[in-house]
Amino acid sequence: MSIDVHHVTKRFGDFVALDDVTVSLPTGQLTALLGPSGGGKSTLLRIIAGLDTADSGTISIEGTDATRLPAQKRNVGFVFQHYAVFKHMTVAKNVAFGLEIRRRPKAEVVARVDELLKLVHLSQFAHRLPSQLSGGQRQRMALARALAVEPSVLLLDEPFGALDAKVRKELREWLRRLHDEVNVTTVFVTHDQEEALEVADEIVVINEGRVEQVGTPDQLYDEPANDFVMSFLGDVTSLGGSSLRPHDIEISTSPVLAGGVEGEVSRLLRIGFEVRANVLTIDGEEVTVVLTRAHARAIGVEEGSTVWLTPAVGAAVVPRMKAVV
Amino acid sequence: MTSALLGPAADFAGEASTGRPPRRRRRQGPRNTLTPGAGLGLGIAMIWFSLLVLIPLVAIIVTAGEGGWSGYFDVLASDQTWAAVQLTVTQSLLVTAVNVVVGTIIAWVLVRDRFWGKSVLNVIIDVPFALPTIVAGLVLLSLYGPQSPLGLEWANTERAVMLALAFVTLPFIVRTVQPVLEELDADVEEAAASLGATRATIVRRIILPSLAPAIAAGAALSFARAISEYGSLVLLSGNLPFRTEVVSVRVLSFIENGNTQSAAALASVMLAVALVVIVGLDIVQRRVANRG
Repeated sequence: MSIDVHHVTKRFGDFVALDDVTVSLPTGQLTALLGPSGGGKSTLLRIIAGLDTADSGTISIEGTDATRLPAQKRNVGFVFQHYAVFKHMTVAKNVAFGLEIRRRPKAEVVARVDELLKLVHLSQFAHRLPSQLSGGQRQRMALARALAVEPSVLLLDEPFGALDAKVRKELREWLRRLHDEVNVTTVFVTHDQEEALEVADEIVVINEGRVEQVGTPDQLYDEPANDFVMSFLGDVTSLGGSSLRPHDIEISTSPVLAGGVEGEVSRLLRIGFEVRANVLTIDGEEVTVVLTRAHARAIGVEEGSTVWLTPAVGAAVVPRMKAVV
Repeated sequence: MTSALLGPAADFAGEASTGRPPRRRRRQGPRNTLTPGAGLGLGIAMIWFSLLVLIPLVAIIVTAGEGGWSGYFDVLASDQTWAAVQLTVTQSLLVTAVNVVVGTIIAWVLVRDRFWGKSVLNVIIDVPFALPTIVAGLVLLSLYGPQSPLGLEWANTERAVMLALAFVTLPFIVRTVQPVLEELDADVEEAAASLGATRATIVRRIILPSLAPAIAAGAALSFARAISEYGSLVLLSGNLPFRTEVVSVRVLSFIENGNTQSAAALASVMLAVALVVIVGLDIVQRRVANRG
C-alpha cells in the first residue's frame, strides 16, 4: 500500500474534522476521496501532504513513516482547487520551480520542463504569465509543476472545482489518461459522485469525519454499505422500509407478484426518455419509481391508477436507518 | 511519452483557441481607445494636473533660469547649500532604507500574527502621518531635546534630522505593503512548500517578488516626504548651517532674504533628485519582481 492512514483524528476547536480514520490507498492507482462538503476529505488530503498535522494517528507514505515529516520532505505533489500559481513567474518558471530549488543542472531542468509542458499541452504557452491562461490551462500548469519533482504520490484537492462544467468534463477524462500514462499513485478529492465514478479506480466515501465505505465504483454503486453511501451515489427512494434506486422498482397494474405493495399514482412526470411516477402506497409511503416511456405506455400507467410495487430482482437494497433528504 | 496523449491534444485545441491571443510586447491596433466619456475624464485629469503640478513646476524652472546658468551654479557652488543638499539626500535615503526593512516587518506582523492590542497598533501606525508636523516636532523635542526624560539629548545633531524623518515617514511602507500581503494566497506558499522550498526560499522567491511593487511605491512616497520635510525637524534639528540645515530650511531662508531665484534653482535641483530616485526605485522593483 502506498499511503497508509492509521487512526488519524483531527479537531478544529470543537469541530471533529476526522474521527479515528484508518484507510489504505493502493500504489499506482487513481483513488477518489468522495463526500459532502465539510466531511473531512480535504483535511485528510492536507494531512497526507503535511500541510496540516493530525492530532493523533500516523501517516506512512511508500512504507516510510511520514507523520512528523514537514511538507517539504514528503515528496508529494499537491494541486490546489484555485491553482495556487506563482503569478510573477512564467509558465515554464512555475514548472521549473521544484527542480531549481533542488539545484538540478540547468540543461536537465530545461529538458524536463519541456517534456512536462508537452505532456500537459502547454508548450506554446511556456513564456506566458499564468494570468494570460484560462482556468483549465492554469490547472494543467499546476499539475505539470507538481509532477516535475517526480513525487511518490500526487494529491489533488478538488482540482476541477473552480472550472466550468464543460472544461471540467474534458479535464477529468484527460486526468484519467494522464494517470494511465504517468502511473503515479494519485488521490483526488471531489464532492461530485459522477466525477468519482467516472475517473477513479477506487473510491473512499468520507462523511462527518468517518470513512463510510471503500471500494471500486461498481462495488459502491451495486453494494452500498449503508444508506448514506447509497444516497450519495445516486437517486434513492424507499419501499417497505428499505432504500433502493427508483429504477430498481417493478411496477404493475395488477397484483401479479407476491409481496407487491399497493398504491396509487399521485403524479406522473415525463423527462425525455424516462417517466417518473410518484406513488402513494396504502401504508402512507411516498415512493418514486422511474421507468422508460415505452414501458409506461405498455402497462398503461396514468395519474390516479392503482399499481403494485416490488423491488426488482438483483436490486441493491439497503435497510433504511435514517431519513434521507 | 506523449504518444498516448495525442487524442487529448485535439480536445484542447478548442480551448486554447478561445483563450487570449498570444501576447505581443507592443499592443497592436488603434492607440487611442478613448470613448467620449473617458475623453472627458482624461481632460479633467489633465487640466487638474496641469493647474496643480505642471504649471507651478514650469514656473519654478523658469524662475530658476532667469539668471542664466551662472545663477544656477552660484547657488550650488555655495558650500552651505551643497551641505544642505547632501544632508537631506543622505538622511532621506537612510530613512527610506530603514523603512523598507522595518515597514515591511511591521506590515507582516500586522497581517500574519495574532496578538493582544493588534487593532490598536494598526490605528496608531497612522498617527505620525495624521499629526500636524509641527506637533510631531514638539513631541520629538520634548522627548529628545534638552532635559530629555530618556537621557538622550539629540537636539541640534544629524540624529535629530533622521529621527524626525523616520517619525513622519513610518506609515508609508506599512500602509502600501499591508493590503498586498493580505491578498497573498496561503495556497501559493503551501504549493511552494510541497515542492520542497524552505521557509527562507519561499520568502525570497515567492513573497518578496509579490511585495516588491508595494515596497517600491511606499519607498518612493517615504523618500519624497523625507526630502521635503520641514515642520517636524525645524524644532529639534536647530537648523545649524553645515550641520543640521536641510534643503527646505535653506529654501525658506533664500525666500526670506528676497532671493527667489536661488530658492527656485535649489528647488529644481531637488526636483531632479526626486525624479532620479523614483525612477531608480522602479527599476529595482522590476528586477526583484521578475527574480522568481
